[in-house]
Amino acid sequence: MTDTPAIEISGLVRRFGRRDAVDGLSLRVQPGRCYGFFGRNGAGKTTTIKCLLNLLRPTSGRVRVFGLDPQRDEVEVKSRLSYVPDNVAFYPWMTVSDVLEYVASFRTRWNADTERALLSRFRLDADQKASHLSKGQRTQLALIAAICPEPELLVLDEPTSGLDPIVRREFIQTVIGAYQDGDPGRRTVFVSTHLISEFEGLIDEFTIIDGGRDVLTLEADAARGRFEKPLEEIFVSTLQPTAVPA
Amino acid sequence: MRLQISFKSGKPVYLQIVDQVKLAVASGGLRAGDALPGIRPLAESLRLNRNTIAKAYAELESQGVIDTNAGKGCFVKDGGSPYRKDARLEMLKDEIDTAVVQAHHLQIGRADFLKLAGARFDAFEQQRGTAPQD
Repeated sequence: MTDTPAIEISGLVRRFGRRDAVDGLSLRVQPGRCYGFFGRNGAGKTTTIKCLLNLLRPTSGRVRVFGLDPQRDEVEVKSRLSYVPDNVAFYPWMTVSDVLEYVASFRTRWNADTERALLSRFRLDADQKASHLSKGQRTQLALIAAICPEPELLVLDEPTSGLDPIVRREFIQTVIGAYQDGDPGRRTVFVSTHLISEFEGLIDEFTIIDGGRDVLTLEADAARGRFEKPLEEIFVSTLQPTAVPA
Repeated sequence: MRLQISFKSGKPVYLQIVDQVKLAVASGGLRAGDALPGIRPLAESLRLNRNTIAKAYAELESQGVIDTNAGKGCFVKDGGSPYRKDARLEMLKDEIDTAVVQAHHLQIGRADFLKLAGARFDAFEQQRGTAPQD
């Protein structure tokens, strides 16, 4: 028996005017895996993710999340996943606990123990106004809001860019610790990043996207075995082929 | 037990854990009955995916190095490989062959090779004898 992939993208094209932001991308993420989506700025990572969430409609190609069409089955797809965008914004008048209460009201499940544990781990003050939070604290709050509903799929779009190394480390440990708790076979992570070395240990499998296409998809261990170097260097050498003189 | 993970070597991360645990057991850093760290704390401290730790522990269990006690964790086993002796000898053959080939190219003869093997056995035995219990 094969499990329904958490994410399945085939031949995805998304055009903006005359520019193809995504140009024939295919990938498949099995449930329970931590999947890295690596690409430079402008490679098409965020556009792809927005197609998964029906924030954008594909120009052509097929996108399935849990085997469902994110456009037709939008509510079911969104109720089973959480998304942390690169730039997190909250209503500025809300406090930390207001934000979490508000988010929880849209969710069928909400793990209050996890909420308490993470608030104290991140030393977030529940009465603090969202508008007074630092960038790092906003990301931490978004991560709590993403993990407490215990979704099957956690979609992270450049979650740690612009954060200091301590916050980045805590972020990753929280994904490993709090998110993967419970039912690890059904806790899938899809993370887009260019901070590859930060996420190296977390990644089971990855796709490198460039110019809107998947240029390399491999298991992390197989990639290190084949190239004998860390994923970040594999990324760099894949995208910077040695120039061959004409 | 301190685990050191390198992403630079071409070796799969789970195998690095397997080999380091086996080394620790052979050299007395871990003794029969000792508990291995839990999957979650170890994954967090090494910043590794839990799947990787779970895969390493499953491999160690299948090799008869550790036992998994549901709910309690993983413990170093007191000997008792699940394989028969001829199968165990067969498993060792490839590793010995690698060393024999290397010895040939380094012009190390049989006598010196066996002497060195004996010395390494002694070294590990001595380390197991003197390793601090924690």
